[in-house]
Amino acid sequence: MNRLTPLLLTLAAFLTLGTQVYAQDWIRTGTGLGVEKIRLAVPDFKAAANDADSKRLTTAFSVTLWNDLQAAGIFDMVSPSFYPVSQPGTPQDVNLAQWSDPPPNANMLAFGNAVAQGGSLAVQGWLYDVKNPQSPQVLGKQYRESASEDNAKLIAHRFADEIIFRLGGGIQGIAESKIYFVSNRSGTKEIWQMDYDGANQKQLTHVSTMALSPHVSPDGSRVAFSGVSNAEWQILMYSLELNRQVTFPRYQGANLSPAWSSDGKQLAFSSSRSGDAEIYAADVAGGELRRLTTSKGPDVSPTWNPKTNAQIAWVSGRTGLPQIYTMASDGTNVVRMTDQGYAVSPSWAPNGQFLAFAWIRNYGPGAPGASDIYVMDVASKQWVQLTHDGGRNDFPSWSPDGRHIVFQSNRSGRTQIWSMLADGSQVRQLTNSGESTQPNWSFK
Amino acid sequence: MAADADIFPEEHSSRISWAGSLMLHSALFALALFGYLIPSGRGENWGGTEGGGSAMSATLVSSIPLPNAQPEAQNVLANESKGLSQSQPRETPKEEPKAIPIPARDAKLKGQRESATAKKEPPKQVAKAEPENVVPYGQGGPVSGPYGSFTSGATKGGFGFEGGQGDFGNRFAYYVDIVRRKVSENWLKYEVDPRITDARRVYIDFDINRSGQPTNVRVAQSSGIPSLDQSAVRALQRIDTFGPLPAGYSGNYVSVEFWFDYRR
Repeated sequence: MNRLTPLLLTLAAFLTLGTQVYAQDWIRTGTGLGVEKIRLAVPDFKAAANDADSKRLTTAFSVTLWNDLQAAGIFDMVSPSFYPVSQPGTPQDVNLAQWSDPPPNANMLAFGNAVAQGGSLAVQGWLYDVKNPQSPQVLGKQYRESASEDNAKLIAHRFADEIIFRLGGGIQGIAESKIYFVSNRSGTKEIWQMDYDGANQKQLTHVSTMALSPHVSPDGSRVAFSGVSNAEWQILMYSLELNRQVTFPRYQGANLSPAWSSDGKQLAFSSSRSGDAEIYAADVAGGELRRLTTSKGPDVSPTWNPKTNAQIAWVSGRTGLPQIYTMASDGTNVVRMTDQGYAVSPSWAPNGQFLAFAWIRNYGPGAPGASDIYVMDVASKQWVQLTHDGGRNDFPSWSPDGRHIVFQSNRSGRTQIWSMLADGSQVRQLTNSGESTQPNWSFK
Repeated sequence: MAADADIFPEEHSSRISWAGSLMLHSALFALALFGYLIPSGRGENWGGTEGGGSAMSATLVSSIPLPNAQPEAQNVLANESKGLSQSQPRETPKEEPKAIPIPARDAKLKGQRESATAKKEPPKQVAKAEPENVVPYGQGGPVSGPYGSFTSGATKGGFGFEGGQGDFGNRFAYYVDIVRRKVSENWLKYEVDPRITDARRVYIDFDINRSGQPTNVRVAQSSGIPSLDQSAVRALQRIDTFGPLPAGYSGNYVSVEFWFDYRR
């Protein structure tokens, strides 16, 4: 038997070598292979019928789809001037090589057709991996809505979100998210609402004194804000379902800057009920009030870590100029994040990894202080400056996908709401009239 | 056998050993000749540019390329990509300063020893004007690798699947690309011991279930540097989801072998 052992071992080795890879689909990949944005080509959708209605709606659809995908921040949009002459409307029309080779040199191709018939708009859309001729289709979708321009845009938003969800690593698109902000265009500062791209702006509150720092609840049903009521700053609550103000307990002193936890169960805010502005947390009904900070100097602008709800970042003036701090949600483990200048308005990224805030790094007489938006990696305290030489920038707020930041800036003259990708690129102005400040991006 | 108290009691069986040895050797010979036919676990790797030495392109963030990507391309002709793959010249290893020449025996004098040590300078502090934790503007964005790192599916590097048993890589190359991108983005190199400048490749195995969550993360082959292994595992743990597996894929999960090349 002993003599046979080596032979058996050899045989066993052969067998295992032969079989082990048959078991399961494997991906083998790694770093250092180059990470770049996906080059996405989106030719205009083809109007499947020749009537004016179809053409108009198809154009509206194509424009919205292009804008959504470009705004997503994960694609390198191939310029239309590189596209082949023939416009594909169905999979039969697509010549993969035309798209995958230079000049388009695209990785992905979104195409399709739309037709308005009998009062309804039907859209067929495909997403093709053009570098993979064996099985190019990634996505095929069909939509039908009643024919209107709004619906054409809605379908475009949905198709764009579907593409972003597929190619963006499972993160939902933001095409249907909202931004809440303060504007004085109606005379007094009130809370307003708009779509993520600046469309559909409408006034929510009518407190007629002053309303500031809106913060929408994670389920999108309420907006908490601070407003002057009976000559005192109070946390006020506006219900988006009832379209009116609802009650929230009133505390002594000035109560400012409410912030929801991402589970929707708690509200943090600053209150000077004890004389000095400190951070408090309460449940949604205003009960179980807990004081979290105790040091001298103002403590304001709390923001929860939305990933865990176990941490709060806020602004404290305990050492003089305001700086960003973090603490556990019970007030322990205080860590100072910024080391100099004047740092305010923190906003915690949805993935819990980053803080965005406004920072005047060189503050004081003689220092050319510009207020800019910065992002800091919470664990390592590495930071990156996102805005450069563009007026006074403040109040950043993260988008639900963590790829965008909305902020206020006076770079165009008056203070308005702007949005950008979280790397500082693709800066877009969202509001134009009056003065608009303190934007807050909804949780979804 | 009882009679001879030989120290080689099995001498008579040498013929069978010879035969066994012959078989074993011929088997080894056959393995050497036809071994390439055996599908191997590591195989050639997808992406193909292995060993190209191009700079690692993990950005700081999940989902946002931080800091800014490359500056706007000035040249609008042909291709908006800068081509990217500027390979770094390989650093020649510096000579270790610890080798102090041993003086000849007769040259040894008292007193010299102290002066030798007294001369020794403390390690130089590299003065940095910029705070260390700032990432320079415009650096660290997407680097390296032409866009067609997986041109024409299975053939030209990219995502060819070895052996041809599974077809996930062929059919869903884009998904593989997402996995690669997302892991690279979530790998924070600052978690690695700063004294390490070069390390062996660390292999991490994990599964992606249908809903896209990475599960069962484990170190398949350590780099020998715990902090590097740990940072690689953490990169995976940081990821909630890669997005659902492609609808056209019938399996319940897909296994991934992901390697991390660390170079500072």
